[in-house]
Amino acid sequence: MSEFLEIVNVSKHFGSLCAVDGVSLSIRKGEFFSLLGPSGCGKTTLLRMLAGFEQPDTGRLLLNSQDITPLPPNKRKVNTIFQSYALFPHLTVRQNIAFGLQVQKLPTVEIDAEVDKMLALVQLEAEADKKPALISGGQKQRVAVARALIMKPQVLLLDEPLAALDLKLRQKMLLELDLIHDEVGITFVYVTHDQGEAMSLSDRIAVMNHGKIEQVGTPAEIYEAPHSSFVAAFIGDTNFFEGEARELVGKEYSRLTIEGFPDLVCFNDKNISAGNPVYLSVRPEKFGIGRARPVLGPNHNIVPGKVEDIIYLGGMTKYWVRVDEYKIAINQQHNRFFLDEEPIRWNDDVWIWWHADDGFMLERYSEADENLMSLPPESVGEEGTPG
Amino acid sequence: MSRLRRLYEGLVTAPSFVWLTLLFLIPTLIVFAIVFKPADPYGGIGSGWTLETLRSLGNPNYPAIIWRTLWLSLLTTAFCLLLALPTGYYMARVDKKWHNTLLLLVITPFMTSFLVRIFAWKTLLHPEGLIKQALVFLGLVHPDATLLYTPEAVLLVMVYTELPFAILPIFTAAEKFDYHLVEAARDLGAGPLTAFFRIFVPGISRAIATAVLVVLIPALGSYVIPDVVGGPNSEMIGNKIAQRAFADRNLPHASGLAAILTLTVLLPLVVSLIMQTRSAEKHPPILQEKA
Amino acid sequence: MKRSRLPFFVTLGVLLFFYLPIVVLVVNSFNASAYGGHWEGFSLRWYLKLMGQHDILTALENTAIIAVTATLVSCILGTTAAFALHYYKSALQRYHFVLIYTPLVVPEILMGMSMLLAFVALGVKLGLFTIFLAHVTFCISYVAMVVLARLQDFDMAVIEAAQDLGANWWVTAWRVLAPMLAPGIASGALLALTLSFDDFVISFFVAGPGSTTLPIRIYSMIKFGSPAVLNALSTLLLVVTFTLVWASQKLTSNKGEAL
Repeated sequence: MSEFLEIVNVSKHFGSLCAVDGVSLSIRKGEFFSLLGPSGCGKTTLLRMLAGFEQPDTGRLLLNSQDITPLPPNKRKVNTIFQSYALFPHLTVRQNIAFGLQVQKLPTVEIDAEVDKMLALVQLEAEADKKPALISGGQKQRVAVARALIMKPQVLLLDEPLAALDLKLRQKMLLELDLIHDEVGITFVYVTHDQGEAMSLSDRIAVMNHGKIEQVGTPAEIYEAPHSSFVAAFIGDTNFFEGEARELVGKEYSRLTIEGFPDLVCFNDKNISAGNPVYLSVRPEKFGIGRARPVLGPNHNIVPGKVEDIIYLGGMTKYWVRVDEYKIAINQQHNRFFLDEEPIRWNDDVWIWWHADDGFMLERYSEADENLMSLPPESVGEEGTPG
Repeated sequence: MSRLRRLYEGLVTAPSFVWLTLLFLIPTLIVFAIVFKPADPYGGIGSGWTLETLRSLGNPNYPAIIWRTLWLSLLTTAFCLLLALPTGYYMARVDKKWHNTLLLLVITPFMTSFLVRIFAWKTLLHPEGLIKQALVFLGLVHPDATLLYTPEAVLLVMVYTELPFAILPIFTAAEKFDYHLVEAARDLGAGPLTAFFRIFVPGISRAIATAVLVVLIPALGSYVIPDVVGGPNSEMIGNKIAQRAFADRNLPHASGLAAILTLTVLLPLVVSLIMQTRSAEKHPPILQEKA
Repeated sequence: MKRSRLPFFVTLGVLLFFYLPIVVLVVNSFNASAYGGHWEGFSLRWYLKLMGQHDILTALENTAIIAVTATLVSCILGTTAAFALHYYKSALQRYHFVLIYTPLVVPEILMGMSMLLAFVALGVKLGLFTIFLAHVTFCISYVAMVVLARLQDFDMAVIEAAQDLGANWWVTAWRVLAPMLAPGIASGALLALTLSFDDFVISFFVAGPGSTTLPIRIYSMIKFGSPAVLNALSTLLLVVTFTLVWASQKLTSNKGEAL
């Protein structure tokens, strides 16, 4: 596992604004690595520094152990897919793709052969002699990819390449990017604010906020074990409860008091000591829900509540259960035939439960971040959209 | 880095900046200075300074001319607006594929030589010209009446030459206007005229302001039109400036008149500048024909 | 919903209004009669008479020389101005913009008068050179505005893309920037050429006694000459204009939108 692309303590200021604040990352060779975060979090600035369009104020960038920080963009073995694709409007598709090799003054025969290979890779042979104005958005993106890949870069940088496409096209291009990465095998650094994209494409994700890295990990690690409440809320849906940590129970669990709830137990991997205010984060799919109070082991939390809203989606049902001042979102999958059980109805008294391992104690998030995160909606129809 | 950037900026800005300062800004300032110089008997500028030229601007005929200039220019602007609004509206409403053709039809006359067009009107309005014959035939005018060399002729030709400049900005804005607003108004019971004036016109108010400025300012400075198709009772400031400069060879006096004209144009000019610099949308200002 | 037919009729009226004098002019140029009122039969005599007028040819020559040279210089100055205005947002550029914009909106007679005064006060001899200087002065603004509009539509990312693909400054300028800007600069140049050819008022003010341009000649013909010969000349000019407009239309529609 070679640390192929290293970002070492990089910072960048624009006037008084700190866009990137002491960021360090190690990206492995061949990885599909995403920088994920809300707009203004610094991900694009970081990408541009990798490309060479911005210079870091402090820190270094190392590619294959070589310090590329002082190199201008045209001297780096790094290529960029721009958000607007930036295709040369006065050149045909073929000429666009050939551009970089022509700059290197390779022999025409060689260039033509390489361009043909690229056209085949992105399936644009039929459009080769058209100008960018005459091709579709998805095709433009493929030209941008071909134009960059033909240079055989060591790292491919992608700046929100799917942002300009409509939903259906985005899903299609998502798959294509994945395939291209598998086929070509080079390191991708992908910038996006869409967590769905990041989760489905990446080997690892760095979640960024306010110029800093919140957490780096595989999609599963980030989803299942968020280190901060920002990450917990930015990725997927979750429920937050305000509470106070209490004394340790056993080696890894703490008691937790939340107003309106019976005593709770929660996994404590962060060594949060008693008396600290925390958020408890439990994702909707981690709950069980039922009419009868279940009989479960000591590390389960069981809480009574009242059903306020229900959305039936066929394969699963979403419940919103009121417990004191909280409206808890619960997703229940229907693994078995659902019709002959007595379904839970609106206004029913129910029990909800979860295992202590499935909840997280996290520090409280700041007010500034509240807008950026998906918090449980106040009522049905107000589904918070992730990220 | 910043010093270097400033240097580059200076280098790129210098050529046009210097040229225009030397050949536009400074000459304009000179106009105001020359007002205080005497006329040279050979038609140039005399030496020394005097207030005589300034005094001679108190000519009793001038207020009438200034007033007429303002009046004719405002009338021209009004007529241009009156014609440009429905025209721009109609052009924007037709099927997109006709836009280019219609635009072309409107622009082409304006691409032809300005003098040629004025000359064409001189011919048309000639006592033996077609229009006179037609009007006499219809019994609308007396056979001895002259259409030419009247303020009406000047007004007509001014509207003719300025109208494309009013149509263009209005058409551009009308193209971008959301007509559902007009339909909504009709749906709520408004008649076509009400919807037009209460919804459409306010909706393109910026374009209308542009059209007004683009017609008014050149109209105020009209020289050729009143000179060719106007008579002694339709003189405008422009004529007088040219007359003093060339016929009378009194440059300082002409300069004084030019200064007066500059002051007259100053207010709409400043308004126009403010509108431009505030403009969030980047439109190049509609081109001004020489008047 | 009943749509009012009024706008249509107004538009029709306006278009007829626009073309009426032009049509009459053209028809009359073939009129054997010297005065436009009556048709006396088809004739080309005015065109023949026109051909013999050498002073018109000289004027045309002067106009052409000035137009070409003024276009060249104003294109360079206008393009640099557009770059400055687009890339730098400083106080200097605010003044710069006022300097560029104002000539577009002041009446020509003011520009003509002020330049005349400046030349006289500085003792510069009036002639073709002063006409040239004046033409450049008013053309810069038009070229600058046209190129500026083009720059604003420019996706700057293509410059970064070119660098990303290995191009240095020179290659980027030559192979990406210039071809993308060329249509805009060409438009500006065409505009400057047209304006210079057609300019009367400013030229009239700064021309010396010995030098004349075609518009100045036409003006004196309007005031003092035979209208019939002028009809013929005007018709020829109209034909040239219409041809140019048609040709430029063909060119821009064939190119297939260069963004």
